[in-house]
Amino acid sequence: MATALHRPQETPGADEHVGRRKLLAWLSSVGLFGSAVLAALSDVIFFKPRVTYGQPQTFQIGKPEDYPPGVRIAREAERICIVREANKVAVISTTCTHLGCSVSISDTGFACPCHGSRYDQDGTVTGGPAPKALAWYKVSVAPNGELEVDKNTQIQPGTYLTV
Amino acid sequence: MTKETKERRTPLPRVIWQSVFRNPIPETDLERSSTSFTNFFLHVHPVKVNKHTLRPSYTLGLGLMSLFLFLILIVTGILLMFYYVPSTTQAYDRMLDLRGAVAFGIFLRNMHRWSAHGMVAIVFLHLCRVFLTGAYKKPREFNWVIGVVLLLLTLFMSFTGYLLPWDQLAFWAITVGTSIAGYAPLIGKQMQFVLLGDTSVGQEALLRFYVLHVAVLPAILVLGIAIHFWRIRKDGGLSRPERPRPSSTSSTSSTPLRVFGLQGFVRSSFTKVGNTPDESVYTWPNLLIAELFVFILTVSLILVVSLLFNAPLEQPVNVMHPPNPAKAPWYFLGLQEMVSYSAFWGGIGIPGAMVAVLLAVPYLDRNPLGVGKWFAKERLLANTLFVTLVVLNVIFIIIGTFFRGPNWTFVSPF
Repeated sequence: MATALHRPQETPGADEHVGRRKLLAWLSSVGLFGSAVLAALSDVIFFKPRVTYGQPQTFQIGKPEDYPPGVRIAREAERICIVREANKVAVISTTCTHLGCSVSISDTGFACPCHGSRYDQDGTVTGGPAPKALAWYKVSVAPNGELEVDKNTQIQPGTYLTV
Repeated sequence: MTKETKERRTPLPRVIWQSVFRNPIPETDLERSSTSFTNFFLHVHPVKVNKHTLRPSYTLGLGLMSLFLFLILIVTGILLMFYYVPSTTQAYDRMLDLRGAVAFGIFLRNMHRWSAHGMVAIVFLHLCRVFLTGAYKKPREFNWVIGVVLLLLTLFMSFTGYLLPWDQLAFWAITVGTSIAGYAPLIGKQMQFVLLGDTSVGQEALLRFYVLHVAVLPAILVLGIAIHFWRIRKDGGLSRPERPRPSSTSSTSSTPLRVFGLQGFVRSSFTKVGNTPDESVYTWPNLLIAELFVFILTVSLILVVSLLFNAPLEQPVNVMHPPNPAKAPWYFLGLQEMVSYSAFWGGIGIPGAMVAVLLAVPYLDRNPLGVGKWFAKERLLANTLFVTLVVLNVIFIIIGTFFRGPNWTFVSPF
């Protein structure tokens, strides 16, 4: 077998050697490159957290009676606004759909201090750069009688829970 | 032992000196030639540099300034690491401790902050210098690309460092910044989640940004800078106007020129004499003095600014109340201004296109003329386009900085 530095002598069967060598070189390149791709991919998997340590996405906010009809209460830590109308309850996100700032409750609905997006009472965009309406989160009554908000599930705006 | 040999023996201190520094302090051209060959710290230099390279009006020393600012940032950054804890409950208190409880703490933080701002500005000006002198042309195309990557890394360094004080400015600037990343097509939301390690800015994000800021990005930046410098050497030194080659008659003219080639002393102590005369001078002392001057200038400037102005520190993070208006650092305010029109186009589309064009510049503009001088006539079109782009960005930064008030409404600063 000739070394890599010296081309094989022109003997019968030399072409066969070259072909085999090319195949081996090709296979090992694929193997090396493939391993590199796999390693890069495993990095992505590694960096994507499987658990988060921040606020839970599902939590309870108290009994329906805590929210008298007609109130709009912002729970700033959870970044939600609880809307109670007669016997209906809904939970609207107070995270601006533009760039994630906290919107505050204004006379006409919601207003964002960062880039001036404005929303009406239902969270529909009325001005500013916000691309879409504020999210409405799924809210249900837990077995213990408390309202439970699920921030992982968005529902159609205008959908209320009757309590 | 005879008297003669005793006299010739070298004294011990000198023996030690010579064992440490392989080259004497240069007095002859041969010794000047071998300085950069024999000293680890100097061997990044060529033996000789073109006179044009040393003209302050050509380079303005901007590349060197960027390097020295980066060195200041490494030194002050490592010192600050001794007192910093990347925890949402402790980080802000540690900032306050730097003011009161750590010797030189506030001064180190000032130096780190102002050098960071300075580095962003100087690296950008360096890019402008290289463009306006046509220095990215063959064979320096790829070094321009590395340079653009280094600018992006500098911005990312600054962005990750921004979160660490855990004050209001930090929290909301990063909230806005990572939301911009969320607008990237297809992988945006995933990217934002991986960057923050959570659905919103919190402990995980602080830890991630800290590790990126003190370990990952500096390592990549050091590697990139090393390649950048190595390429300067390998691409034939700094760009300069092409000079007509001396004709055969001039090389045999009255005064014989003694020029030492590199190969002359690689293997022996002899030097080759009689190479083509060129426009170069010895690195020792010419280039080294120029570098020392830029170094002293940079360090003094940072020291003076750090003595006069304190790095801002706002209220501790209050997740419930974003400051109004919530503004990013000045170099991102142009971006934030564009984002206020459209998050995708302002934050991803236009900046992405600008970076792509910057990276492609040496491959788009292959006109070989006009290298090595400022605002060359042959480059009128390229320079005009570039200056227009720069001016537009500066205008956006000025609007974002001075003309935007609460709710990002237009206000007059006057």
